[in-house]
Amino acid sequence: MKSYPMQLDSCFGTKVFSKTLKSLSLAVALALLPLAAHADQLADVKKAGELVVGTEMQFAPFDFLEAGKQQGLNAELFAELGKELGVKIKFLDLPWPSVLPGLEAKKFDVVAGPIIVTKARKERYHFVSPIAEATVALIAGAKDDSIKKPEDISGKTVGAGKGSAQLEELKTFAATLPEKVTIREYVDNNQAYADLAAKRIVAVANSLPNISYVAAQKANLYKVVQPPFGKKSYFAYLGRKDADADSLIAALDTAVTKMHDDGRLAALQKKWLGAEMDVPKGDFDPTW
Amino acid sequence: MFDWPLLQQNAPLLLDALWVTLQVSIAALAIGFVIGIVVGSLRLSPVPLLRRLGGAYIFVFRGIPLLVQLLFIYYFLPRIGLPNVSPTMAAIIGLSLAAGAYIAEIMRGGFLAIPGGQLEAAGLLGLSTSQMLLRIRVPQAVRLTLPALVNEMILLIKASSLVSVVGLADLTRTAQNLAASDYMFIQDYLMLAGFYCLINVPLAYCGSLLERRLKEQTA
Repeated sequence: MKSYPMQLDSCFGTKVFSKTLKSLSLAVALALLPLAAHADQLADVKKAGELVVGTEMQFAPFDFLEAGKQQGLNAELFAELGKELGVKIKFLDLPWPSVLPGLEAKKFDVVAGPIIVTKARKERYHFVSPIAEATVALIAGAKDDSIKKPEDISGKTVGAGKGSAQLEELKTFAATLPEKVTIREYVDNNQAYADLAAKRIVAVANSLPNISYVAAQKANLYKVVQPPFGKKSYFAYLGRKDADADSLIAALDTAVTKMHDDGRLAALQKKWLGAEMDVPKGDFDPTW
Repeated sequence: MFDWPLLQQNAPLLLDALWVTLQVSIAALAIGFVIGIVVGSLRLSPVPLLRRLGGAYIFVFRGIPLLVQLLFIYYFLPRIGLPNVSPTMAAIIGLSLAAGAYIAEIMRGGFLAIPGGQLEAAGLLGLSTSQMLLRIRVPQAVRLTLPALVNEMILLIKASSLVSVVGLADLTRTAQNLAASDYMFIQDYLMLAGFYCLINVPLAYCGSLLERRLKEQTA
């Protein structure tokens, strides 16, 4: 970081420029300081009458567009959460790499991926109670008879989302196989599915709910390879990890638990994910 | 391979997104053009400090990838106390600043091609610096650099495909969303390409038409 302005400086060799750079780097330094906690996010949300949710509408069956309209588990689940909190829900659609930075820049209150709960992510974000199981499985070409069980990818090329927890799980699994598996990383899962359809890769690793949905939509193109190979993991929504966000997350936790108890969550899982899922109530320790 | 009903269903959605792309691009081109004239003439200013200022502007906004600029404007500026702008505003600001840098260099080329004697004559006739800029230098520079300017406009419209990173549902983002839900990747992206041509082909045509008319005028 430090050497960068100096390089520019010697390039330009002007005082004006180095001053601009100094004030710029000062601004950078200031911005990196954590902002002082000052408010109660739940009160802010209630006052605005609106909970703003950042998401990506390319994550079926959780969030996707059909004829330009939002569909999926997130829309219906958040509608219920909104009722519990007494606020309206507003969704913002962003490409996934922009979603978490947007949360940190306070462009929205919470993120609806949902996202797999991992230890590393728990360090940085405040997760709401999980809403679905996220264990990783493979999706392969519908007519590809060479892939019948997860181990059949040995010696072949498969894909997964870059930076995803599913990718890590795939790498761990691939290391146990006799022949080397070539893993391609994709910015978003839909590119991976497109490559699978184009036969550039033989399978894509993703969470079971996601690939089950894709395979059901395009049965002529894709099939799910049973059983899932990953460790048990869970999907959850998340918010900022600072003192003023605590009140909001606590309220959402209460609402999710209530939906657990009265069966609304199970009904939504059944509708969108094909089956009821056994997910932990409240906080838990992720396996990785 | 092609699915007509789906195409008919998706076309109006892309048409809506075309407006978003057009609005952002036109606003950015207009603002970028003003920035371009100012920065381009700063680069030729007799005052060394102003020349350097123009140079620094171009260095920054041409040097940093547009994608990074957009992310910076949208996510980072609010953290240092600057206003938390809307996605549309962030997109217009980012595109204008970048377009300004490129147009400045094009305009500089145009300004340099104007014979110095004209400016001396204008000075003797008592025209102020701003009058000279707006009445003598800019009209001629635009005429001289028209092909490069039209080129830049087309490039900017295509570069606007990056604005989805700040949450704006432009043409590219809408097509990606559609492809993500209907899995008709080839069809949706071919339509996307077609929609960009819908803007760029008439634009290029108008450019060459204007070029011909200006040529006739000068002849």
